[in-house]
Amino acid sequence: MAMVDEPLYPIAVLIDELKNDDIQLRLNSIRRLSTIARALGEERTRKELIPFLSENSDDDDEVLLAMAEELGVFIPFVGGIEFAHVLLPPLESLCTVEETCVREKAVESLCKIGSQMKENDLVESFVPLVKRLAGGEWFAARVSACGIFHVAYQGCTDVLKTELRATYSQLCKDDMPMVRRAAASNLGKFATTVESTFLIAEIMTMFDDLTKDDQDSVRLLAVEGCAALGKLLEPQDCVARILPVIVNFSQDKSWRVRYMVANQLYELCEAVGPDCTRTDLVPAYVRLLRDNEAEVRIAAAGKVTKFCRLLNPELAIQHILPCVKELSSDSSQHVRSALASVIMGMAPILGKDSTIEHLLPIFLSLLKDEFPDVRLNIISKLDQVNQVIGIDLLSQSLLPAIVELAEDRHWRVRLAIIEYVPLLASQLGIGFFDDKLGALCMQWLQDKVYSIREAAANNLKRLAEEFGPEWAMQHLVPQVLDMVNNPHYLHRMMVLRAISLMAPVMGSEITCSKFLPVVVEASKDRVPNIKFNVAKLLQSLIPIVDQSVVDKTIRQCLVDLSEDPDVDVRYFANQALNSIDGSTAAQS
Amino acid sequence: MFKKIMKGANRKASKAEANDSSMYGFDPPGRSGPGSNMIVNHASRGSLVPSSPNSMAAATTQPPPMYSVEPLPLFRDVSVSERQSLFLRKLQICCFQFDFTDTLKNAREKEIKRQTLLELVDFIQSGAGKLTEVCQEEMVKMISVNIFRCLPPASHENTGQEPADLEEEEPYLEPSWPHLQLIYELLLRYIVPSDTDTKVAKRYIDHSFVLRLLELFETEDPREREYLKTILHRIYGKFMVHRPFIRKAMNHIFYRFIYETERHSGIGELLEILGSIINGFALPMKEEHKLFLIRALIPLHKPKPIAMYHQQLSYCIVQFVEKDYKLADTVIRGLLKFWPVTNCTKEVLFLGELEEVLEATQTVEFQRCMVPLFQQIARCLSSSNFQVAERALFLWNNEHVVGLIAQNRGVILPIIFASLEKNIESHWNQAVHGLSANIKRMFMEMDPELFEECQQQYEEKQAKSKQVEEQRQNRWRRLDEAVEEREREDPMITS
Repeated sequence: MAMVDEPLYPIAVLIDELKNDDIQLRLNSIRRLSTIARALGEERTRKELIPFLSENSDDDDEVLLAMAEELGVFIPFVGGIEFAHVLLPPLESLCTVEETCVREKAVESLCKIGSQMKENDLVESFVPLVKRLAGGEWFAARVSACGIFHVAYQGCTDVLKTELRATYSQLCKDDMPMVRRAAASNLGKFATTVESTFLIAEIMTMFDDLTKDDQDSVRLLAVEGCAALGKLLEPQDCVARILPVIVNFSQDKSWRVRYMVANQLYELCEAVGPDCTRTDLVPAYVRLLRDNEAEVRIAAAGKVTKFCRLLNPELAIQHILPCVKELSSDSSQHVRSALASVIMGMAPILGKDSTIEHLLPIFLSLLKDEFPDVRLNIISKLDQVNQVIGIDLLSQSLLPAIVELAEDRHWRVRLAIIEYVPLLASQLGIGFFDDKLGALCMQWLQDKVYSIREAAANNLKRLAEEFGPEWAMQHLVPQVLDMVNNPHYLHRMMVLRAISLMAPVMGSEITCSKFLPVVVEASKDRVPNIKFNVAKLLQSLIPIVDQSVVDKTIRQCLVDLSEDPDVDVRYFANQALNSIDGSTAAQS
Repeated sequence: MFKKIMKGANRKASKAEANDSSMYGFDPPGRSGPGSNMIVNHASRGSLVPSSPNSMAAATTQPPPMYSVEPLPLFRDVSVSERQSLFLRKLQICCFQFDFTDTLKNAREKEIKRQTLLELVDFIQSGAGKLTEVCQEEMVKMISVNIFRCLPPASHENTGQEPADLEEEEPYLEPSWPHLQLIYELLLRYIVPSDTDTKVAKRYIDHSFVLRLLELFETEDPREREYLKTILHRIYGKFMVHRPFIRKAMNHIFYRFIYETERHSGIGELLEILGSIINGFALPMKEEHKLFLIRALIPLHKPKPIAMYHQQLSYCIVQFVEKDYKLADTVIRGLLKFWPVTNCTKEVLFLGELEEVLEATQTVEFQRCMVPLFQQIARCLSSSNFQVAERALFLWNNEHVVGLIAQNRGVILPIIFASLEKNIESHWNQAVHGLSANIKRMFMEMDPELFEECQQQYEEKQAKSKQVEEQRQNRWRRLDEAVEEREREDPMITS
């Protein structure tokens, strides 16, 4: 055909594809940019491909996004680090696109490239690019600029550094809130690269401006910077400059700002040291724990353990514990749930006596909470609880809660509790398990929801692992095998499922003596689904049992099934037979 | 400005602590026990003292500050000369704020405040006395204290409440509305009358006031947004000095919505105001306004919740094109840029808007954008969603649009021919089927020669399509081979 003789111009292929009306084809060709570059070779990639891409920034955002991503890993295709600068122009124009994801990807790629560039290349091409973007007429360019300062700053001269700091400070005062937000969210990153002498003098001034912004959305992002900046400053500077701001923010009129503070406060404790933590941050935190807005209390409650870990036990008992007590009966279930998920971590901090005196009542009331998530969060930290308060006390209060959760009407709650049963069993011991939990485990096997039945079967396997085959023979196997006569075929199917999971744990002997007869019997079921599951199960039993058993029992059963009127049964039976032959062949 | 408010807030708090609780008519903030639902002491909930920080300093011209809510005499019961000072005292009562989450709490005080507000509204309404500047200043302060609050978590970010039934999306209703409504009513009656002197009023209705008013548009209470819309519109109309500022601030809200959050309840209301502003633009249109069209209005087609404000947006867009038909191709290209890919409901909205724009489009502008436009329309025509296909086919019911198409049929028919043909061959929906056949017939009668030509091209293309695809695959394969070959010669490259 004629096209075989057509000479190959890699760049023409690309141009042709990029002109296609079908966006999927354009995307595909961009995704293969590296192939084109490799076909072209380094020099032609630099001289032809990259300039072409620089001019091609008018496509759909989706195509541009792909291009921004590809260019980030393009250094090897243009000839290595010393030629990295040729990649900057196309990325620069992608930084000025309005669509946020394109810009962000371009910034990410620029950072990747810039951080590998040599110092003089940075000065010569990267820094000017940052300055151009920062002075861009449209906000998109200036927003992008904020994200690459930290890369430019590291490797450049003092004069340029001064200039870059001044430019950044301009961006923090930009007329458009969009730009100020970008400057605020990148300030922490930029600050890590700035020398400590300028931190106080310049970065902190920018920070102060941002924290006084008239837009909530800007101040909010400034809070996020607090912890990052705090870690960079000397403790005394942190106390002087960050602490007042954070204390102020903790009383901001906007709940969003307070929410941020609640999330971040514990990180600042280390930066300001124990004294200021006691005098300033503890009161601020206590205020947040008692905030009027449930969202803020949720955030604060979720950090209670992390915060207490930084305090000495007396402080925690004196100031935080009363709040915790209040939160445990908070009107919002989500606050209680957040508290329940972390509260057990406080036990080791408070020590055994305080835990029993103060924490246990809270813990017990959460365990009886009307909202299942709260109870579940407590039970999921059971190992921690057990260590502190001991098994007897625990089992008394725990059991009613578990039984109730095991029958909760939300199947996800039931699922969660099943997943904790093996842990519970190991913590509580065989005796406790036999009395109370055994019946529940069997009950789940007949749940109306498939996921629960599946989890229940898996649970049996894990229990067998935990307590050993002998115990399982006594407490699990008879009950499971009883179910094989259940009138509901889905329940009979669960028996097969349980066998397939337990057989590897129970070993060859029990499998042959107990399981196999039941399975063979099931192969005569009237429901085809049962029969082909028998076939699948038999296949999984092959490696567990002796070859003689395979030849004697399994093969015959499968041969019978392979003549079944149902096509699926025949299919799976034949598959299993093939695998017997396969394994025999491998052995011989 | 903000700094000042923060300081004020702090001062307030400390003042509240310093005062003995017996001075209040009820519990001061921050003293309540943990179990009570009394307002907790932080700045977002107002304290119960009159909240203007300057009221102490201005005490010489004012009655002494009040610490409890007690009923005051009616305006008609005092002499005319005393009315202004009574007005100030009534304002102070209205600076107290209450917790509305509990209806029983402070029920008496709430009722007193409501009655007082009603009276203030009446007083302003009747024009019973022109307000002195001090009165105006204090009134705007009182209004600010009440309306400028941090909005509660929006329904999408509120994890702290019981999960509401998603089926019935009841709008959020501000619990303090019985007071809030009267305060908005007061503000409206202050701004509207022609005898309110804007030279004086602009000192109080300043940039910061306007900016905070704009921030409130995010409220989820539709009643509040309705008031805000009316008020902001009046401010725009009356305070010429604020106009550029208001336009700029609105732009910032739009940018944030488009590029950052995609969430905002008040976009529709803001656009409604803009619709009438655009209506009043003088011709030739200023560059600033055209930029606004390109940078804000057109990108507003992108966010997912467009259905909430599309009607108002579409009205603004069509206004622009009707004012200056030269903008038509800019607008159409803009629509094409943001054309939905998978969202059919949105696509139907776009097609509706497109038709309205095309109504106002002249031949020259139409020709500038018809190729990409009809490539898109071709895709819509053969959409497997019948509503999209049908809406696109309905374009041919519009006389003006058909006129434009007929005039340029030589370009347009080859682009859409394949779609029409495919619909007739295999579209599942009967209506789409029929409409496509009608349009095909229309072209056939219009220009039999051209139709014949397109038919032929279509058949050729169909025949060749497999070959083209093979050729594409082939080229990429050969490219891969070329790479392999190259790298075998020079293994350094793969480093």
